[in-house]
Amino acid sequence: MPSKSKLWLLLIGMTAVLAAVFTSACGDNEKAKPSGEGLAPVQELRLNLGEEPVTIDPNLAFDGVSIGVVRQLYSGLLAFDEDLNLVPALASEVPSQSNGGISADGLTYTFKLREDAKWSDGQPITAADVEYSAKRLLDPETASSYAPVYFDIKGAAEYAMAMGDPENPTPVDEATLAGLRDAVGVEAVDEHTLRVTLVQPRYTVVYLAAIWPIYPLRQDIVEGLGDAWTEPGKHVSSGPFVLSEWVHNDHMTLTPNPYWYGEQPKIQKLVLKMIGDPNAAYAAYLNDELDVVAVPPSNIKSAEGDSNLSQQLVRSVDMGTLAYEFNVQAPPFDDPKVRQAFAMAIDREALVDKVLFGVGEVAYSLIPPGTAGYDPSVGQELAYDPQKARELLTEAGYGDGNLPDVTIQFADVGGNRLSAEFAQGQFEENLGVNVKLEPLEPRAFAATIMQGQFMIVPIGWGADYPDPDSWLPQNFGTEGGNNLAGYSNAEFDALVQQAVAEPDPEKRLALWSQAQQLLVDDAAAIFVSYRERVRLVKPYVKNLILTGMDAGLDGELFLTETYIVEH
Amino acid sequence: MTGYLLRRILYLGPVLFAVALITFLLMHAVSGGPWDHNKPFDPVTVANLNHKYGLDQPLWRQFVTFIGNALHGDLGVSYTNQSRPVSDLLRSGFLTTATLGLLSFVVAMCLGLTLGIVASLRRNSLLDRASSIIAASAASMPTFVLGVFLIVLFSVRLHWLPTGGWGSPEQAIMPVIALAALPMAYIARITRASMLEVLSEEYILTARSKGLREPVVLLRHAMRNALIPILTVAGPIAVSLVTGSFIVESFFSIPGTGRLFVQGVFARDYGVIMGATLFYALLVAVANLAVDLLYAVVDPRIRYG
Repeated sequence: MPSKSKLWLLLIGMTAVLAAVFTSACGDNEKAKPSGEGLAPVQELRLNLGEEPVTIDPNLAFDGVSIGVVRQLYSGLLAFDEDLNLVPALASEVPSQSNGGISADGLTYTFKLREDAKWSDGQPITAADVEYSAKRLLDPETASSYAPVYFDIKGAAEYAMAMGDPENPTPVDEATLAGLRDAVGVEAVDEHTLRVTLVQPRYTVVYLAAIWPIYPLRQDIVEGLGDAWTEPGKHVSSGPFVLSEWVHNDHMTLTPNPYWYGEQPKIQKLVLKMIGDPNAAYAAYLNDELDVVAVPPSNIKSAEGDSNLSQQLVRSVDMGTLAYEFNVQAPPFDDPKVRQAFAMAIDREALVDKVLFGVGEVAYSLIPPGTAGYDPSVGQELAYDPQKARELLTEAGYGDGNLPDVTIQFADVGGNRLSAEFAQGQFEENLGVNVKLEPLEPRAFAATIMQGQFMIVPIGWGADYPDPDSWLPQNFGTEGGNNLAGYSNAEFDALVQQAVAEPDPEKRLALWSQAQQLLVDDAAAIFVSYRERVRLVKPYVKNLILTGMDAGLDGELFLTETYIVEH
Repeated sequence: MTGYLLRRILYLGPVLFAVALITFLLMHAVSGGPWDHNKPFDPVTVANLNHKYGLDQPLWRQFVTFIGNALHGDLGVSYTNQSRPVSDLLRSGFLTTATLGLLSFVVAMCLGLTLGIVASLRRNSLLDRASSIIAASAASMPTFVLGVFLIVLFSVRLHWLPTGGWGSPEQAIMPVIALAALPMAYIARITRASMLEVLSEEYILTARSKGLREPVVLLRHAMRNALIPILTVAGPIAVSLVTGSFIVESFFSIPGTGRLFVQGVFARDYGVIMGATLFYALLVAVANLAVDLLYAVVDPRIRYG
């Protein structure tokens, strides 16, 4: 047993070492390294996917993580350019009425596929692959959540709803299913021509040819290999990358697809890590284990203050809107005056500053920047004005503090609690109303709002493609799938009907604008901010093109353009 | 003894069945299901999904189907990890969690025993006080805080260790420290108390006066008897380390069953919930049996009939 004095010395020694380490290392987080402009010999990009993808089956992908990976491994008929305009991809041109791709009555779409497109095993990509994928998407046995998005296609709804009334489904036999499948209006006329027939004209349907649910699939691979078809070595890719390695729950490695029709990616190895905790991911970036990372909101100020990190910060627009949604079916929010009053009681600037740590832009209407139809002038009449708000309440008959208690329910994850508490403070202070908070576990919250049992909730909205068509009808149309508040306005519905059937894009935008204005006049919800993303990007990563469509990976639409310089 | 063993093994059947039944009922009683999202699925999709996964069957038939399949080793499919069946997920996850748990257990035991014995030998000395302080700090620090502290120190500031993942020895160091801290403190305290009690027994005095050397007195006579209360806590500690490392696994991105199970509950992934719960129940039952048998080995007074 060492003597007492020796042990003391050891203790003091250890403390000294620890102190030295802490203070000496307490300098800049990053040593600035000079970056030359020559290409680095190793072109490896490490991104954080965050978690294991639920699936890489495009028919079934609905979460951001899965979609991000799917976009690297598959190509669609159409794609987006950096300004989010539609451009041809597997199809040789975007169909329009002038090039004959869209029939005069707007019901028939013809896609001509490029003849040089090949799968990663050398097989040609044919129209039959797209037809197979579309029909599989609609197959009730696939049970895809994106099938209803394609119900404008003739026979689609009948096929997906083969089991009849969703409340009382009855199973169907194979023969009936086969008949319904054949009746779906997606047909491979020949190897390189695909014809799609609609039930009624809807000119925004071209966007549906660019998003992932109907990326082509190889029937022989999907059906021949059983459940293992998504594993590396078996999976066949139609996109710029192939799946080389998948260590489940740890990381995926993607390498370039030599058969891809487009220009070969410069990145030779794309490593997608699965670091779930945002703070651990941030630490990984600082430890040079990641090349791009999302900055946790509470770290933004310190990153801005650091001389090296501040140069690596990148802000970009996200295609998302944060709002407080009213249940318009029940008092007091069934009265538009009350809704307007509550909308005017929220100081949006303070919200972006305090609740969102400065990440985001103040919003007064639904459609965010970066999407067609964005109009910052709409909704200003509902700007912060507590006095006007109180006057409106009195006009509505709720003066003298006889407004019933308001309950704000929220899913107790992320920044929702802060958002709910903020709203509580604002309403109590500015309107004199009594507000209770009700935190719920995420799934319980989802179940509650689905049953329409809420008064007002903090919520975020996103879209599948950058067009008002993906924002307005589903969230506020009477039959809208995401219209949980039960908002119903005949004038709004009429405008939507007109807009989708309007072939001229300019006229269509004008109609969408009117519809958006209606939502604001009616104070259908309190729109508070447009989402923004804050990232740290290593200085040697060049040409990482961030867009609002990024679902699970940063720059996911254009990773073929990104490259690494010497460092 | 063999009779006892046989009986304990036979009891496993009804125990596992009860666990499965209770879990199944609780799982379906809780509000919110696997298809409830903030952006809701269309009723058509929900109907198709329920049919696809057999959730449109009456509850009793779903349960019977599950039990039937489980007896064949098929624990069903996962809704959130659709590329692999539940049994696969559990198998690969368990290897990781078990390794992490065992490493942490060994570290906790070694350090805990050492600290505890040293403290008991130099009672009320500076060493004793210092080791109590260390033990108390380790016990009071929440695992998450310790994890953050370790990552900031060893990864961000010193760049000595990777921030997470699993597979290499460097990746295991911080998670094991974070996980072992609390059990180590606990074991140290129990060891110290138990040793002190044993060392004051008369047979120790006898052993010393017989002229035995101190190490022999300590190891042959004192430790063996002091071990019993330590074993009592070691069993449950080992089990909890192997099954309950969710926070450490989440923070250090370790692909284990702790993380899988909790994520499964949040996502209402029925396959994972049932499979993982049954798996843990089996593990805990077997571990308890092992501990009980170990008692008989360590303490000759204990006999099972």
